[in-house]
Amino acid sequence: MIEFEWNFALLVPFWGNFLRGALVTIELSVIVIFSSLLFGIFIGMARYSSNKWLNIPATVFVEIFRNTPVFVQIVWFFYAFPVIIGIQMEGFIAAVLGVGLNMTAYTSEIYRGGIQSIHKGQWEAAKAIGMPYASTMRRIILPQAIRRMIPAFANRIIEGAKATALASAIAVGELLHEGELLAQALYRPLEIYTVIAVLFFILIYPLALWSYWLERRLRTDEKVKL
Amino acid sequence: MSTDSKPILEVKSLHKKFGELHVLRGIDLTVNKGDAICLVGSSGSGKSTLLRCMNFMELPTAGSVAIDGNLVGQESGSFEGAPVFEYKEKELIKVRTQVGMVFQQFNLFPHMTVLDNVMEGLVQVRKMNKEKALDIARENLKKVDLWEKADQYPSRLSGGQQQRVAIARALAMQPDVMLFDEVTSSLDPELVGEVLKSIQDLSRGGMTMVVVTHELGFAYHVAQHVMFLHDGVIHEQGTPDEVLKHPREERTRAFLTGFTDFNF
Repeated sequence: MIEFEWNFALLVPFWGNFLRGALVTIELSVIVIFSSLLFGIFIGMARYSSNKWLNIPATVFVEIFRNTPVFVQIVWFFYAFPVIIGIQMEGFIAAVLGVGLNMTAYTSEIYRGGIQSIHKGQWEAAKAIGMPYASTMRRIILPQAIRRMIPAFANRIIEGAKATALASAIAVGELLHEGELLAQALYRPLEIYTVIAVLFFILIYPLALWSYWLERRLRTDEKVKL
Repeated sequence: MSTDSKPILEVKSLHKKFGELHVLRGIDLTVNKGDAICLVGSSGSGKSTLLRCMNFMELPTAGSVAIDGNLVGQESGSFEGAPVFEYKEKELIKVRTQVGMVFQQFNLFPHMTVLDNVMEGLVQVRKMNKEKALDIARENLKKVDLWEKADQYPSRLSGGQQQRVAIARALAMQPDVMLFDEVTSSLDPELVGEVLKSIQDLSRGGMTMVVVTHELGFAYHVAQHVMFLHDGVIHEQGTPDEVLKHPREERTRAFLTGFTDFNF
């Protein structure tokens, strides 16, 4: 084994840097997760629609963002997109767009799959009592479909939170980037990246616990069997 | 009482094609107030499709449907001598509240209680306040003997009970006519009776209905008029006695001999 003297104590005075990074990671994650859960509904419904004016653009969107690396998307939004629209873009915004749109492409597919999994008899029963499309979706289809989507969403949310670390490449001051800066200043990359890894785990593991809890609850909630 | 007796529902020269498949080939059918009409025939004869065209779950390819004397849709052409109509979704939504339907698979909303299932259409479609909707829901659940299950979720009920809730849900909309689409076909044999009894009670109470069924005994006892469909046309029709006991047509006889447990 290579001789190396670990010295974590050295990092204690810099706890503020780690905290600052963690807060940006949390902020970025929360924005990306909530916006993708929200916008995913609309893209997913457009994908499900038989109207080609909705369906085709939504399909193009999903295919583009699912089939290019999220890292490339972040970099593209930071360097190329500002040139196209002619305004400078902060790294944070570029990261929100890159990770967020990638996430939206995935969540929209979860919504579409969930909606499609609902038996067509549910649509017919709502139609037969005179319910229009929008209220059928809102009152009958989505409440059932979302329950089935929860495990898939939990996975997606964890993936999204981890993907925010890629924003370090465009100098967004999230956890990994703060670590990189410290590593350059202190020449202690081994301790610093170890702390970063542990902090990511502490931030993300509760999401995994939450997803287990949800799955257990869904299994035992017998009274509403779908 | 008014002597003016417009049919509640009148179907003329109805055609339905699914792609190249010509399922209904010119059907005429008149439903008057209080009628109980049974449609019988083998699978693929088009009887369910006919029923589903009557509340526009399927759009007719050609032919007219009139509800209370009002033609549904705008005439826009013709097909094999029958008028073709265009329909607006708004109009169809209104029609569906006038024509109730009960399905083979019940199709209750599993995430809602029995009571909420029955109230859903009243509150969401009829825009009724909750108290009034509750009154109507209670009344209709009592009609099918299930008021005591109001707070249960559908998964806790037997198939027969679920189907009776589905009947109450359709009834709550106070339709002019009810359509029953093979409503006992997916039930265990011992549960068929309770559902048929609910329908029979409704008919005795004066509810107008069109029933697609394989239960010929039920058709015999409840219907005033029986129609035998074969290959998308009405092959024979008349009173239950005429069609089921003394059929004139060879096809009707062949169909009836398939039913060994057919007792009156």
